[in-house]
This record gives sequence, structure tokens and C-alpha cells, in this order.
Amino acid sequence: MTAAGSPAPPATTDIPVLSVEGLTVRAKRRVLLDDLNLDFPPTSLTAVVGPSGCGKTTLVRSLNRMVELTPGLRVEGVVRYLGQDIYAPAVNPVVVRRRIGMVFQRPTVFPMSVYENAAFGLRIAHEDEETIDRAVNDALRQAGLWDEVRDELDRPALSLSGGQQQRLCIARALAVEPRVLLLDEPTSALDPAATQRVEATMRRLKERYVLVLVTHNVDQAARVSDRIAVLRAGKLVEVGLTADVLERPREKFSEQFIIGRAE
Amino acid sequence: MVPAAPALLTPESRQPLPEPTPPSTHRGGGRPFSRRILPYLPYLPAFVPVAIVAAIVLELLAQSRFHNFGWEFFGSTFVGPGSNDWGIGVFVVGSFVTAIPALFFSMFLGLGIAVASVVYLPRVVSRFLDGFVDLLAGIPSVVYGIWGYLFVAPYFGSALNPWLFHHLGGIPGFGGLPPPGSGLGLPLGVFILTLMALPITTLLIRDALRSLPRELWESGLALGATRWECLRKVALPHSRAGILSAAFLGFGRAFGETVAIAMVLNLVAHYPSNVYSGTATVAAMLFELLDSAYGNSLFLSWLAELALVLLAITATVNVVGRLFISRLSATQIAGV
Repeated sequence: MTAAGSPAPPATTDIPVLSVEGLTVRAKRRVLLDDLNLDFPPTSLTAVVGPSGCGKTTLVRSLNRMVELTPGLRVEGVVRYLGQDIYAPAVNPVVVRRRIGMVFQRPTVFPMSVYENAAFGLRIAHEDEETIDRAVNDALRQAGLWDEVRDELDRPALSLSGGQQQRLCIARALAVEPRVLLLDEPTSALDPAATQRVEATMRRLKERYVLVLVTHNVDQAARVSDRIAVLRAGKLVEVGLTADVLERPREKFSEQFIIGRAE
Repeated sequence: MVPAAPALLTPESRQPLPEPTPPSTHRGGGRPFSRRILPYLPYLPAFVPVAIVAAIVLELLAQSRFHNFGWEFFGSTFVGPGSNDWGIGVFVVGSFVTAIPALFFSMFLGLGIAVASVVYLPRVVSRFLDGFVDLLAGIPSVVYGIWGYLFVAPYFGSALNPWLFHHLGGIPGFGGLPPPGSGLGLPLGVFILTLMALPITTLLIRDALRSLPRELWESGLALGATRWECLRKVALPHSRAGILSAAFLGFGRAFGETVAIAMVLNLVAHYPSNVYSGTATVAAMLFELLDSAYGNSLFLSWLAELALVLLAITATVNVVGRLFISRLSATQIAGV
């Protein structure tokens, strides 16, 4: 689990795997995220919800330094992974991204075979064939795709269905054994049946990983998440256990958003 | 009979919609003509390219007289008027030995420029530099030719060619006859053709790389790949169809180039004896010999046939390239 260069996981499970302290992201004229404070405890699925443009995607992209790929954005504040600030000058973003995986809105399989897609991160890390083989098998099982592709691992990944492609993207992210998996509206391009399978995968994965799910769909958050964080215009409105936030929202805005009335 | 406009908008009015006007029945006069012809007018421009190709091929075929030369036409010796030697082999070979190395160099350089511009340089800088590639594409070929002849040739003659001769003389093709001091010949020809094919290869490779979805690129980075690894393992495989079309179009450009190559090649109707030698290409010969052929109908028909050969080779490369590329794109997705 531990890779060279990243600190060992703490003994107690109370310390959050990922925590955000005073995170502010600025574009040229606007503030995309405004002084966010948020913890992500081990083995949990936190759903980040809020209206379009509230900063949900910017938040998850800040958690693995993907936000730096967008020119013109400035990040302030601290994001700690197992206590270490991932934005510290000595930290290599490439190492951060291996520990904190990401799945995007639309399936983004590479133009290569199913197997090579799942093995991508490991090949880059120059793992040996045996390790890769084992990790690919394991990751495909965890993503709930193994039974569907076990006999055709050499098939081009682009020939899979959209839902299978998305689960392959999850497997690909899991193969490098991250601790955290960021999911940016992973079902928004999928039909209901495929959505269900991806949701089942997410429910299984939260037993082992820290999952952060961006979704615009409150029902999905209700189905899969342990905790909900509500965002509005770059600010954290409230965060709490899913049942609490859905049934007894503390803020007027959360209530409105949940029943589908907020802007 | 026709209901007033507002009545259509209220649900209370149950009046039927007005009947469509029945097709016009009268013949003659301006209206029926416009009714019958005008609707087809927008389709016509699509057939203009077909008409142009047909006009060129038919005219060249009409001009040519293959029976005058027989199979000798494809022979390798050319002497021309007053002889029986009208072989075009020398020129076809000359075209290939200039175009293929030029394509090779321009693909490598184009790939380098495109990668630097798309992957590495900040957007502001690359947008500025991209403009120069477009500018390069707009330079008339005769300008390349005169520049090559006047300014580049002396460097080739006094520096590059002698250097190659002295240092690589042991390699077959690089030794033999010493390079001419003028600097004209194959190396300069390849150099100029490289520059001329460069804009098209660069533009197409750049567009192919740019068409890579941003999320695909970021997925690679999200898995801990560096930009270089993402480029090699994701972007280049994803763009291979576009890169191949760059190669095919670049080849077409280099193979068909005429004026510039005629100016810098030191045209002679024999096979190159080594890499510094002069030779001749099909296109350059067409241009060069037109004057002397004037009034000689046999010579003129020979030129028409030469043009047909040039056309046939470029068309074949084009068609083969398209087939290849469409097969490639299909495999990428469906694994056929």
C-alpha cells in the first residue's frame, strides 16, 4: 500500500485520509472556491452536491492537483493527504495523482485493449508483468467488470459499452492502488442500467477506499453516500451524514436544493 | 377561408389548418423554370471537382499517344527528340528519391513542432508560433526556389556537401564523385522539399493532437503519467490516423512540387550516382521541357503522358492512404 515518497498510513482510523483547510481557488476575476474546510474520513463516500457552477468539480480537481492543469487558476490553502500538504513545493504532482485516483464524467478509455487500459498506470510505474497481471485482475474484479471481460481482455476498450468503459476507468484508477478515488459525475453520461452498476461498484468500493463523488443528483447521493457536502457559489453550505442532511438539513439552502427548488 | 393568424393560437378555434397550395400545373414562363431548376442548383457545386478531374484526365488522354512509344515509355533511358529513347523511368525514380527523404524529414520536424506547440508550450506562446506555420504554408514555391538557389546552395556547396563527403564517404552512396561546388543537387532538393512539405505535415499533426479530448489527456495524468508518457502512450496512438494523413498529404506535396525543385536540383536525365548528384523529377521535367516541345507534336504528347503518370501516382497514393486510414480508424474502435 505504501509507496516510496508517501507517508505511512496512521495507526488510528480517526485521522482523516484527506483534509481540506482554508482551500480557496481563484480564477482571473472570480473566486471558484472560497475558504473551504472539509475532512474525508477513511472508508467513506462523501457526495459533493450543489447547483451547476458551484465549484464541485473544482473541489475534486483540487484534491489531486488536477486544477493546476487549467491555466490561470490560483490555489491557496492546504490539502492534506495523510497529514502531508500535497501543494508543498517538494511534492511531485505525479506522485500525488498515483495515490489519489480520478474518474471523469465521460468514460475516457485509451485506444488500446481492455487489459492495457487497466495496466496503464502500472506500466508507467515500471511494475513487472506478474504484479501487473495480479493488479489488473484484482482491479477488474473490484470494479465489477471481470465477469464481463475475462475472456476478451485483448479486445479494444473502445468497443465496450459506455457503462463498461466507465467501470474500466474505475478499474484503471484502482490498479495503481490509490487510497482515494475522486469521481466527477461518473454516471452523467450513462443510461439508468449502467448507472446502477456503477453505483453498486461505488458502494462496494467505499468499504476499502476514500471516495469523493461529485453529483448533481441528490437521489444518487442518497443511494450511495455516507456523507453529503452541499456547496453553493464556492462556499460550503453544510456537511454531515447523508441521512441527517437529507432529513434534517440545517440550512435553508440545503433544504431547497434537496427538494429541487434551489436555483 | 384562410383563418386570421391569432385564431390559430387559441385552442378554442377548431378551424382546420389551411390546405397546402397544390403543385403548380402551368408550363412555360419564368415561374415553372425557377421551380424546376432552382431547387437543384445547390447540388451542382458538389460536382465541380468531378468535372475538373474529368476534364484534365480526358484532355491528357486525348493528347497522349501511347502507341508511339509502346512499353519503351516506361524504360529508363531518355534522350528525347530525334531518338527512340523516351523512357520516363529516370524521372519517376528521381521523384521518389527526392520526395521520400523530404517526407521523412518533414514528418519528424512537423511532429516535433506540433508536440512542442500542443503539449509543452504555454497557450499564448504556441498561438503566436502557430501563426508562423500558417505563414510558411502561404509562401509561393518559386520564392523557396530562388531562396534555395541564391542563398542556401552556396552553403551546401561549400560546407554541408563536402562535410558529408569527407566524413560519411565510406557509406555506399555518400562517396564516389565529389559533390559539385554549386551546391545544387539532391541534398538541396530534399532540403527545399522538406520545407515545402513542412507546413502541411505540421498543421495536420497539430490538428490531430489537438483533437485529443482533454479528459483523455487528463486521465493519463491522473494515473500518474508524465506529459511525455501521456504523449507517447495516449496522444500519439489516438492521433495516428491524423498523423498518417499528414504523411500522405505531405508526400503529395513533395512529389508534385515543380518550380522550386527545378531550380535547385541541377536537372539531368540520369539516375543519381550518389547522394550529391543531380537528377530530375517528373514534375520538374514537365515544366522544364515544355519550351523545347513546342511545335513538336510527338514531344507534346509525350509530355501529356508524363503528366498522366504524375497524376496516376499521386492519385494512387491518395486512394491507398485513404483506405489505410479508414481501416485504421475502424480498427481503433471496433477491433475489426
